[in-house]
Amino acid sequence: MRISVSDWTRSGSPWVWLNAGAVAICIIMVLGLLSLIAVRGLGHFWPADVLSASYEQNGQRSVLVGELVESELVPAAQLRGSGVDVPAGVDHMQRDLFKVGNRDITGADFVWALDDSVTDRSYPAMMFVAERREWGNLYGYLQALKQDGELVAQHDGYAPGPEYDALWQDFQRRINRAQDLHAQIEDIQQGAIGSINYELERLRLKQRSLELKNVTDPQPYADIEDRRSELNAEYDVLQVQLLELSNALNRDSFVAEVADGRSVEVQLSKVVRAFLPNSMNIGNKIMHYLAKIWEFIADDPREANTEGGIFPAIYGTVMMVLLMSVMVTPFGVIAAVYLREYARQGFTTRVLRIAVNNLAGVPSIVYGVFGLGFFVYFLGGSIDDLFFPEAKPSPTFGTGGLMWASLTLALLTVPVVIVATEEGLSRIPRAVREGSLALGATKAETLWKVVLPMASPAIMTGVILAIARAAGEVAPLMLVGVVKLAPSLPLDMNYPYLHLDQKFMHLGFHIYDVGFQSPNVEAARPLVYATALLLVVVIALLNLSAIAIRNHLREKYKALEM
Amino acid sequence: MTSNMKTHAIDISSLRRDPRVLNMDDEEITLRVNDLRLRYGDKEALHGINMQIPKNRVTAFIGPSGCGKSTLLRCFNRMNDLVDGCQIDGEILLDDNNIYGRGVDVAELRRRVGMVFQKPNPFPKSIYENVAYGLRIQGLKKKRLIDDTVEWALRSAALWDEVKDRLHESALGMSGGQQQRLVIARTIAVKPEVLLLDEPASALDPISTLKIEELIHALKKDFTIAIVTHNMQQAARVSDYTAFMYMGDLIEFGVTDTLFTKPVQKQTEDYITGRYG
Repeated sequence: MRISVSDWTRSGSPWVWLNAGAVAICIIMVLGLLSLIAVRGLGHFWPADVLSASYEQNGQRSVLVGELVESELVPAAQLRGSGVDVPAGVDHMQRDLFKVGNRDITGADFVWALDDSVTDRSYPAMMFVAERREWGNLYGYLQALKQDGELVAQHDGYAPGPEYDALWQDFQRRINRAQDLHAQIEDIQQGAIGSINYELERLRLKQRSLELKNVTDPQPYADIEDRRSELNAEYDVLQVQLLELSNALNRDSFVAEVADGRSVEVQLSKVVRAFLPNSMNIGNKIMHYLAKIWEFIADDPREANTEGGIFPAIYGTVMMVLLMSVMVTPFGVIAAVYLREYARQGFTTRVLRIAVNNLAGVPSIVYGVFGLGFFVYFLGGSIDDLFFPEAKPSPTFGTGGLMWASLTLALLTVPVVIVATEEGLSRIPRAVREGSLALGATKAETLWKVVLPMASPAIMTGVILAIARAAGEVAPLMLVGVVKLAPSLPLDMNYPYLHLDQKFMHLGFHIYDVGFQSPNVEAARPLVYATALLLVVVIALLNLSAIAIRNHLREKYKALEM
Repeated sequence: MTSNMKTHAIDISSLRRDPRVLNMDDEEITLRVNDLRLRYGDKEALHGINMQIPKNRVTAFIGPSGCGKSTLLRCFNRMNDLVDGCQIDGEILLDDNNIYGRGVDVAELRRRVGMVFQKPNPFPKSIYENVAYGLRIQGLKKKRLIDDTVEWALRSAALWDEVKDRLHESALGMSGGQQQRLVIARTIAVKPEVLLLDEPASALDPISTLKIEELIHALKKDFTIAIVTHNMQQAARVSDYTAFMYMGDLIEFGVTDTLFTKPVQKQTEDYITGRYG
């Protein structure tokens, strides 16, 4: 039986297909986006094999050692234009990007090479990679270990065997020792010395505030001076300890032969880890991969954010979103309760509602400007004048910081919470309110004890939407407190523990900074993807926890189904 | 009901009845309604009602839909205050004090005049917390006292035996009839003087309805009860006095037995014999 087009149209199935198609396209796009950033980002941490090959350029032969990062096809015309000799009849040539490392020796981390001119490719098992705290990776052959400048072990670096294994194990041992020492030094610097510096600064401010108040009694000054000399004494002890540790740290070094045959000597204190990628089996590679991922999540960044981890950025993002939620919820709920329950419904409330809805559409950078002008300069400046005159001229709250960033974002997201809460309030059955009022409860009691708990799932929905919007916002934050590298976390062990005035790092800004402000763009690009993936994961986790809370509340206060 | 309609009114001889003959003049009066007029915007819904509600009796309000019986009931605890554009003239005296007078604490009035609505409206809390709600609102803190009152209220509402093992489960898991008795328990827990029942059994099945009716019988020794019902049988069964309302007027008000057997007004007779409504 044939169905005519008009029948088919009337049956509604074209619309079903249209809708289904739209949904399918949306899902494919989201999945595609996620898998792109996942593949690009997560692939970065896999220990790639290191190639050693002969490379001919402009008639000169050199040894190329490095990891293949990507390949692309380049039009022959373009190559000819730049003076490369391309045989006739060839349209495109493949060009490869190699990560050659050894930035301190060769000056460049990455090299583009025409695929055809890279010959004699091999993956030598003895090739090792050392990740360093500065100058990026080192690729080469391990030849000797030195302690206090004296040779302790030597090898030609090419021949495998028990001798080399012994050398390699000694090398690893010494790296571990250096890592331990480095961790101890970090610990003292961040922990004990950080606290001393913090307290010294507070003492200075205290003294300044006494001076500003024209206190003439010498006693408090003497107390401050006593405490200061105590701290300085402590500091001197720690300083000595630090010196000893760093001397111990600088004890060892190693010698390696790099691509052009030169031997270089590198301090072991600079090495984070060393491995032989070409002789690792799959298990080792997976272990290495997981360790790298963990480092990415849990460590501080190094080398202008292009290496190491992004823990402070995760921490800052989560902290700011939580603070923002804590601030936005009461504001939004109170405003919604007034609008819905107390205000007389009429022209004014209608105008107010329209205004609130329009606030949600204001570009976020405008909020940033407002936050900078009102919160930071006006409010923060006034707070500094009133409460922190001793710190002047350096600002305390009169500069961007965690609190102002959270407040700015709270302002940005408050319309969402208001709208969601109003919606929730309007859905509470009249019968339940009347039931409470009929028992002698006042309107406020009814609101507080019955209506708001029942509306709490809707309030949480508002908070979820607010989190979703705020966590991804970068533009306003750049004006009110985000920095590319924060010296310390906003929550630490120094009184008052939560430092609302501190600047902080943020994943979104980190992506921008690493991707577009980095001196080493090629090295940073995979990190952009990885950080983007992490940002998505963090937002998803924040949202999921809010959704879990909402579902719990929904279960608890499920409305009367009548 | 069909068989009754053809012959006469409602057969009340079969109902269990206090043999004592009721007479309004002997009653102690709890609520006095004096020339009560109520307007929603421009529309007048009650055109000057005058009546008395006697203490410890059940007074039923019957009449066709839209006659104003629920509206009148909601005047007794000022529930109509919540309706926008509702204006009330006249007075209602509760123990000789005008509840529409100046400086009346509406919350306190509603505590003294409790109300049960057509559909069960338990709060989304546990059974225990539902009953304790009114007590907590009044600032009661002692757990012993609250425990005792909750038990007393649930026993009075004939619900204790059914729920005593699951006091701390959600009230929303109960059946409709249980929920309505819970609402009654919640209302009597604050020990009101008057209990207003707005079609309390209309959303319930026959067995639950029967339980509610028995409950009304049992409660009238402690409370003054006013009940609005669509069901004339029910009015005849549970009430001592009945008021028939039509189009915002009180047409006839008297002892239930008399009203159902020898109605004075033609309109009343038409209504109870099923000729309209």
